[in-house]
Amino acid sequence: MSINPRIDRNTPVIVQGITGRAGQMHSRLMMHYGTRIVGGVSPGAKVGEVNGVPVFAHCADAVATTGARASVLLVGAMQLLEAMQDAVAAGVRYLVTPTEGMPVHDALKAWKLCRDTGTVWIGGSTPGMAIPGEVKLGFLPDDSLKPGTLGLMSKSGTLSYEAGFRLALRGVGTSVWIGVGGDPVKGTRFADLVPFYAGDANTAALLIIGEIGGSEEEEFAKALIENKFGKPAFALIAGRSAPEGVTMGHAGALVHGSHGTYAAKRAALEAAGVQVFGSLNEMVAGVSARLPQEFPKSLPSIKQL
Amino acid sequence: MYLLEHDAKELLAKRGIPVPDGRLVSRDETIDRRALPPGPWVVKGQIAAGGRGKAGIIKLAETLQDVTNHLNAILGATVKGRTVESVRVEQQVKAVREIYIGFLLDAGSGGVRAILSASGGMEVEQVPRDQIHTELVRPDVQALAACVDRLAGKLPPEISAAAREAGHKLARAFFELEAMLVEINPLFVLEDGRWVAGDARIVTDDNALPRQKELEALLRTRAAAYPDVARKHEHGFDYVEVDADGEIGLLTTGAGLSMMLIDELRAVGLKPFNFLDIRTGGLRGETRRLTQVLQWIGQGKKVKVLLVNIFAGITDLGEFSQLLVKALGAANLKTPVVARLVGNGLPVAREVLAASGISLHIDLDDALAAVREHLAQQTGGRQSGSAGDGKR
Repeated sequence: MSINPRIDRNTPVIVQGITGRAGQMHSRLMMHYGTRIVGGVSPGAKVGEVNGVPVFAHCADAVATTGARASVLLVGAMQLLEAMQDAVAAGVRYLVTPTEGMPVHDALKAWKLCRDTGTVWIGGSTPGMAIPGEVKLGFLPDDSLKPGTLGLMSKSGTLSYEAGFRLALRGVGTSVWIGVGGDPVKGTRFADLVPFYAGDANTAALLIIGEIGGSEEEEFAKALIENKFGKPAFALIAGRSAPEGVTMGHAGALVHGSHGTYAAKRAALEAAGVQVFGSLNEMVAGVSARLPQEFPKSLPSIKQL
Repeated sequence: MYLLEHDAKELLAKRGIPVPDGRLVSRDETIDRRALPPGPWVVKGQIAAGGRGKAGIIKLAETLQDVTNHLNAILGATVKGRTVESVRVEQQVKAVREIYIGFLLDAGSGGVRAILSASGGMEVEQVPRDQIHTELVRPDVQALAACVDRLAGKLPPEISAAAREAGHKLARAFFELEAMLVEINPLFVLEDGRWVAGDARIVTDDNALPRQKELEALLRTRAAAYPDVARKHEHGFDYVEVDADGEIGLLTTGAGLSMMLIDELRAVGLKPFNFLDIRTGGLRGETRRLTQVLQWIGQGKKVKVLLVNIFAGITDLGEFSQLLVKALGAANLKTPVVARLVGNGLPVAREVLAASGISLHIDLDDALAAVREHLAQQTGGRQSGSAGDGKR
């Protein structure tokens, strides 16, 4: 499986759930960042416009009128599957779903729908994706988004904000940032994106930010070997001190047996040539040492902020 | 939610899967001998983890005195970091065969992994590979039932029918309960061909709780057995006490960043008290959630300092700081506070916090240095005034 997550500033994007609190705020913030938001969807829409773009009752109307090719879905967890089905039926083939708490059996149905139709699905429980300096779908904080050559994928939102922010302070920016999200069943996994990052001319190295639980980091290691990934690869893994079997927020962090432990992940990643870090400071020092400094003078030091 | 065996068995029994007759006995109960099924019995400590037999909390009992002795030994014991709060006492089953059957949601392939083996009763990982029959199937009940038929056909004829029948019922339970894992190990096959679920393991999806009324009711009536899930369901965020002797209360947002912070604190010998993903976006201008968390942290007997670490993508830190100061007052938390904030609205946040005597840091390392200072001061203070236990 290989997924190409690249979009650009010309991609027309709709926001499903645009009349809600999150929908109104984040459509505005995305527009401000440069994303071409062309409309919104709200079932039984009574509002004609939000942030200057038209609101439609169904995706089909939105797509017919605006030519939208991607959608950011800011709808409730229990409505998410239906909204995704609406988008795919309307011909949208790029979905970003920040919503947390999608039932896993719904995610299985959404997964099959997206695979059957060739739809790129980023999420659930994702802060979104970004090509820094150009476009973002979702709500990655601008402070963490600096253009550069490091590919970045993360299960956790906040940990990636912190990592991106500190890397930016050290002059390391990001080429394509994908929040794959913390759910166990998700549209795009670390391994799915290895072929893309391997071939992406704008990406010089790759960082994954993972956490204990599940098998994604192990699959990623396997994909690096299979794809003969020739660029430097780094990993930061959270949860090394967590007791086995205690869920910490993400259902994905539920450890089943020895698979998914910190030790298992670290071993698999190192065997694939990945440099693994156990703390943010080590990661920032390690990554910036192996990447060219891109814009060291443009940023204030952390003490001056 | 990793269900306790007792609850898993009750749910399966309602779905036509026979289980040994049994009763749940909690720590605070005296056992009513008349309520027990006829012996002999097996006394099974209830914790949400496997390997209970090896850990010594599953015992056979021939007499009522045995039952009492085992209850006394098992109830309240700590196994795998968990306290045994309840025990299921059930009838022993005379089995001629023990089978393994399980369905596991396979996240990577978007399907269900079905596993069947003629050798049950132990960890399935230890069964020789050639004795395990497994297949990955589409996640729907017909596909899973058809898969069960294929896999059961590979078992010896004397147990094949039992595996097929149990598998079909278990497949329905898997989808009805929106489970991530259902497992019967061992499935006892009796001399006359009938079968009984000797043990049951079910992991359900917390996200489906709003539409899984039976599980929601279970969580409501047995909240004490599932404190973390119950708390999350009631309050809408994650909070886990990670060390009862922890010295640093954490007010943090984001599961990954909170986990990482705990890792880093522990790596340098510090003792965090709790894990927290407060979700600043869900505060909606109210202090209720913050006050609740600060009260829980305040209950930590050894908590000496509160570390606030918020990396806010969207949340306005000025507003957050005002809520924090109000909540600290409402929760009456007396420990010193160290705040590390990054995001929008920092200048206002700095003013608001300074007015309450809280120092604000941008650099996490600076904040940790301040935390260490507070810890050292308090430890030093206690040492110099050894009789002054009351003035923490």
